[in-house]
Amino acid sequence: MSENQQNEALQLRLRAALRRVDPGEGFAPGVMARIAAEPARTARPARAGAVAGWLAFGLAASLVLAALLAHEWQARRLEQGREARRQLLEALRVTDEKLNLAYRAVNSQERAASAEHSGA
Amino acid sequence: MLTQALAGERAAFAALVRQHQRAVYSLALRMLSDRHAAEDLAQEVFLQLYRNLSAVSSQAHLAFWLRKVTMHRSIDRLRRAPRLESAAPAELAAAVSETQPADPLLERRLRALVGELPPAARAVVLLRYQEDLDPADIARTLGMPLNTVKSHLRRSLAQLRERLDETAAALI
Repeated sequence: MSENQQNEALQLRLRAALRRVDPGEGFAPGVMARIAAEPARTARPARAGAVAGWLAFGLAASLVLAALLAHEWQARRLEQGREARRQLLEALRVTDEKLNLAYRAVNSQERAASAEHSGA
Repeated sequence: MLTQALAGERAAFAALVRQHQRAVYSLALRMLSDRHAAEDLAQEVFLQLYRNLSAVSSQAHLAFWLRKVTMHRSIDRLRRAPRLESAAPAELAAAVSETQPADPLLERRLRALVGELPPAARAVVLLRYQEDLDPADIARTLGMPLNTVKSHLRRSLAQLRERLDETAAALI
C-alpha cells in the first residue's frame, strides 16, 4: 500500500472513530434549567451592583468631606500662626520702645551729671 | 428556529440546543477526555450562546460560533487543569458504545491516540475529521494561520499512523 493510500485509509478510520456522540436525554433540559436559573443569578449581581454603587458614592462623599475638613483645619492653623506672629511682633515693638525710653533716660541723666562735674 | 429563539422563545432555543448538542458535546468530550467535564463545558457553551444570541446572524454563523467557543473553552480548560489532558480515554470508548463500529478495538485505539495529541493539534484533527471542516475553516475557527493548521494535520496524521503501526506490531 502506498503512503497516500495509507493516509486515506487512516483518514477514513479517523472519520469513523470520531463520529459525533449524543450527550444523553438530560442534556438539553439541563441547559434550559440553567438558563431558567439565570434571571435569579443576574438579579443578585444587579442588587449587588446597586449596593456597590451606593458604597462607592458614600466613600466618595466621605473623601470629599475629609478633604474639606483637612483644608479648613489647615487654614485655621495658618491663621493661628499669623496671629501668633503678629502678637510676637507687637510685643517686640513695645519692648523696643520701652528700651529706647530707658536708654534715653539713662543718657540724659549721664549728660546732666557730667555737666555738673565740669561746672564744679 | 433561530429567528424565534432571537425573539426570546425558550422552546425555540431548546430546539437549537438539541440540534447542535451532539457536535458541541462531542468536541468537548474528545478535547477533555472526561464525560462530566465535557457535559459541563458544553452546557456552559450553550449558556454563553443564550446570553449572546443577538450576535448570531445565521445558522452557519451559529455552527461556526459554537465550534469556536467550544474549542477555545476546551483549550482554556486544559491549560487550567492539564491533568484532564492525560485522563484515561476509556470513557471515550464507552461513550460510543451506542453504535456498532466496524472495528471497535481499532477505533478505540485511534480515539485514545487522538486524545494524546497536544491540545492545538487535537483541536485541528477533531475539526477536520469529526466536523469535516476544510483547513481554511479550521484556521478561522481556531484563529490560527492556515499553514499552522496544515502543519498540525500533516504531523498529527504521521504521528497517528506511526503509533498505530507500533500497536499493530506489538499485537503480532
